[in-house]
Amino acid sequence: MVNGFRPRTLREALQILSANNCTVMAGGTDLMVQRARGFSIRPDFDRPLVFIEPLEELKHSVRENGTLHLGPCMTLSDLLRHPAVPDPLKEIIGMMASPPTRNMATLGGNICNASPAGDTLPWLYAMNAKLKLQSAEKERIVAIEDFITGPKKTILQSDELLTGILVPDTRFHLNRYRKLGQRKGMSLTKASFLGMAEISGNTVTDIRIALGSVAPRIVRAAEIERSMLGRYVGDINAAAAVITERYQPLITPIDDARSTAMYRKKVSLDLIRQFLETLSGSPGTGTKSE
Amino acid sequence: MQFRGQSVKENIGTSILRVDSRKKIRGEAEYIADWKFDGMLYAKTVRSSKAKAAIISITLPEIPEGYAVIDHRDVPGVNRMRTVVSDHPIFAEKDVQYIGQPILLVVGPDRETLYDLAAQIDIQYREEPALFTLEEAEAHSRVFTDYHYKKADPEKYFHKAERIIEDTFSTGYQEHVYLEPQGMAAEFKGDTLFVYGSMQCPFYVKHALIETLAMPEDNVRVVQTVTGGAFGGKEEFPSLNGCQVAVAAHKTRRPVVMIYDRAEDILCSTKRHPAKIRYKAALDKNDTVVALDIDVLLNAGAYNGLSPVVLQRAIFSATNVYNIEHLNVRGRNFMTNTVPSGAYRGFGAPQTIFGIEMLFHTIALKLGLDPLEYKMRHLLKQGDPTCTGGRVHETVKMPEIIQAAVERSGYYDKLRTNKKFQGIGIALFLHGCGFTGKGESQIRGKIVLQKCRDRVILKVSSVEMGQGAETVLRKIVANTLDLPIANVLCEKIDTGLIPDSGPTVASRTTMIVGGLLHDAALEMRARWDEGTQFEVSKIYEHPDYLSWDDETFRGDAYPVHSWGANVAEVEIDPVSYELTVKRITAVYDVGVPIDERALIGQMQGGIVQGVGWATVELMESEGGKLKQGNLTDYKIPTSMDVPDIACYFISNPYEFGPFGAKCAGELPFVGAPPAVAAAVSNAMGCAIRDLPITPEKLMETGHDH
Ligand SMILES: Cc1cc2nc3c(=O)[nH]c(=O)nc-3n(C[C@H](O)[C@H](O)[C@H](O)COP(=O)(O)OP(=O)(O)OC[C@H]3O[C@@H](n4cnc5c(N)ncnc54)[C@H](O)[C@@H]3O)c2cc1C
Repeated sequence: MVNGFRPRTLREALQILSANNCTVMAGGTDLMVQRARGFSIRPDFDRPLVFIEPLEELKHSVRENGTLHLGPCMTLSDLLRHPAVPDPLKEIIGMMASPPTRNMATLGGNICNASPAGDTLPWLYAMNAKLKLQSAEKERIVAIEDFITGPKKTILQSDELLTGILVPDTRFHLNRYRKLGQRKGMSLTKASFLGMAEISGNTVTDIRIALGSVAPRIVRAAEIERSMLGRYVGDINAAAAVITERYQPLITPIDDARSTAMYRKKVSLDLIRQFLETLSGSPGTGTKSE
Repeated sequence: MQFRGQSVKENIGTSILRVDSRKKIRGEAEYIADWKFDGMLYAKTVRSSKAKAAIISITLPEIPEGYAVIDHRDVPGVNRMRTVVSDHPIFAEKDVQYIGQPILLVVGPDRETLYDLAAQIDIQYREEPALFTLEEAEAHSRVFTDYHYKKADPEKYFHKAERIIEDTFSTGYQEHVYLEPQGMAAEFKGDTLFVYGSMQCPFYVKHALIETLAMPEDNVRVVQTVTGGAFGGKEEFPSLNGCQVAVAAHKTRRPVVMIYDRAEDILCSTKRHPAKIRYKAALDKNDTVVALDIDVLLNAGAYNGLSPVVLQRAIFSATNVYNIEHLNVRGRNFMTNTVPSGAYRGFGAPQTIFGIEMLFHTIALKLGLDPLEYKMRHLLKQGDPTCTGGRVHETVKMPEIIQAAVERSGYYDKLRTNKKFQGIGIALFLHGCGFTGKGESQIRGKIVLQKCRDRVILKVSSVEMGQGAETVLRKIVANTLDLPIANVLCEKIDTGLIPDSGPTVASRTTMIVGGLLHDAALEMRARWDEGTQFEVSKIYEHPDYLSWDDETFRGDAYPVHSWGANVAEVEIDPVSYELTVKRITAVYDVGVPIDERALIGQMQGGIVQGVGWATVELMESEGGKLKQGNLTDYKIPTSMDVPDIACYFISNPYEFGPFGAKCAGELPFVGAPPAVAAAVSNAMGCAIRDLPITPEKLMETGHDH
């Protein structure tokens, strides 16, 4: 028989976690599927559950000193409605799951589940998001790419909770997102592409590219991005194929029930190339988010 | 719109509120999973984890008090599921032939304990070499059924041909994904066995029980519970799980309930037959197809079951709406060590009709001709011989149907102005109404109408499973007798209370059973004043101008056909090859619509299911294991994937159908896939030879292009 804890405050939750070996449950939309056992019987939980989704402290979102703070227990539906949440993230969330699932699923759950198909991850990687991890004793802040160490693997300790998501409030005038699924709605991602760029005059001042579901972790190559900074847009357009080629070794997808490695690889490279080929300084030329 | 209680007299096509909608929408309908019995036990099936193996030993854990294990040794009668070919063991004996094959049941009062016990059962196997694909089965000649028929003199015309074109097409598995998974329950009341559950064919289940339980017919009753979708998936399968729970109830003398969850349902229930169809076409000097050689291969899975009749419909539909003078048609069901294939909306016809539609499309493109004009050159007309040498007895309205589809969709304009990656395509099709061949004359469906003062009770074994049968059948009687629909009621589907009017399959319910009800209602109307309580019964007689020979496959395979044309419009993303079906314009001749809204519901549903099979519904088997074994990986269309659908009906009353109605249930499924494939072919400028059309496959074809 598995017990559950319903802490009323974050402090209480952290105390429970330091005294017991527990499984943290937020919206449960990953956990309940992963642990399902069969029709009409209880799921397979081996440790007591701590239900954190109701914790008000983890549901706030504010913009402060150039940083956007997102509460990990905000549901995807909360985020869609929240004025502080930037449009590119809303666009991504709008294509996740279905409204009923979005009413339950949390941002923190998507991060801590650490699936290469987690749809908010490419944006968080591209934005250089940092995560606040808290236990009863200590608190640490880590970059998202250091948090996730592999598919379904993170550095989270058993007494820790993800308590804050800190996103530098950077705006890009070019945003392009593509999610490829097996169908148009309610589909897990077989490959995703996020491209963001800031262009001043005709010079690239900032550019970020992140890809989901095409490698054990989210693909983002800071070095390739840096190599494009300060260059003329026209140069990037012309060199698109060459730059794309540099992503080739980073994209290492698999064959599975939803797609093939070949398809995932070719489409992601084509999406990168298309983004670079059509980058442009003047607004409204098709590189806006679709 | 009219409501219950109102007369439905003026026009049979005018829609009324569905009689079952209120209960279902309010969540009041009780499905078998909602049923409770005193002292009931649950059942959990232990299944083979091997594709082909001898069972060496089964070691059971200690079975607690109140729990029991049921296996083949507990079967009082025949340990085979009765169907067309009764070859599927109720419980495996010495060997297993597919992953998921049922070996035994654990039954007991607590579900969780059952899962624990099942996990502790140790089965030792000796694996044997298995065959998985059609190709392997063909190479090893593992044939279950081999049919062949011929028309006129194909050899001569192949010899004389100006040109011979060969091509091969293939289609994949399809899972039914009825909303309600399979579920059955059994209990004994005294000496009488009652079996309850989600099903299409109560009398199939009853006859299977009689054999497996070795019980007298009078002591077996089968009751259909509210059925949440079936699509053929609950045609033969409930006979298997029905027999299993009945054997368990027999041994334990307690009510036994067995409900599948989705994963178990997908693992072990029947699927649409994967198919491969090879064509050789002989063209004369005008490029007309004068002879066809058709070789149909179906993957039947590990047991043949009712696959022979699926194969029959597949090969009798193989020339579709075309009049091909000389024919050589072969059809084979192959045995593979995979989950058995079975009935699924269309019953073999969608596979062969996709094949021939794409064949004509591809030949036309090869010859530089317009595919539609090319197809129309070969159209069947009234009086023409069918592929099996019967006659097309009915008026054929294909020219009007095609004209409507072309005009309503703007087919030719769009064909001209579409850009690359935009496509439009048309498919023509028919569906044979009712059972194949002698089916209807063998079953001889019976119905009873009972007058009770101002009410009439209709007794049939046709079930409501979401398709609207109850509404349509009551409406036929109410309209004929000029009674409010509320005064016409259906007897409960309990084999102890109703006659056998046949199974709810083959698009036969409205036309055949509804036809009998219409006749009975006409008679009752004439005799209305004879008394306050009396019965009228009818037995189906096949129209006497029809003939059929089951040995040679000569004659009228179907009494009449429904016809149609679909135009599909698609768009393909040039980078990701994602396919969007934008619009389907559908025109049908189903005789006369009985209830237009119910009918449009069937048409939309059938189209969406067909579009799903043609696009997103990829199911592959690898080493006998399904790669897409749950709804996370196996996708059916959502509302976001559904195209705009415009439906039109061309009236063409059928003399023997109620109010002129013909068949409609399977027809829409048949037409959508080839229309979508033709549109994709148009968009990509390449032939489409394989369903489903996934972006992964399109990328490969787009590459070569
Ligand atoms: C039908 C359906 C469709 C879906 N579609 C998508 C989709 O399109 N895209 C997508 O990316 N995902 C999808 N998912 C997956 C899932 O909904 C998301 O990953 C969701 O964001 C998980 O959040 P949750 O709150 O439900 O997580 P939970 O299941 O509660 O938790 C997930 C994991 O994170 C841990 N965890 C959660 N919160 C914290 C915290 N604050 N601190 C520490 N650990 C924590 C839990 O212990 C667990 O290991 C879908 C799921 C379903 C059922």
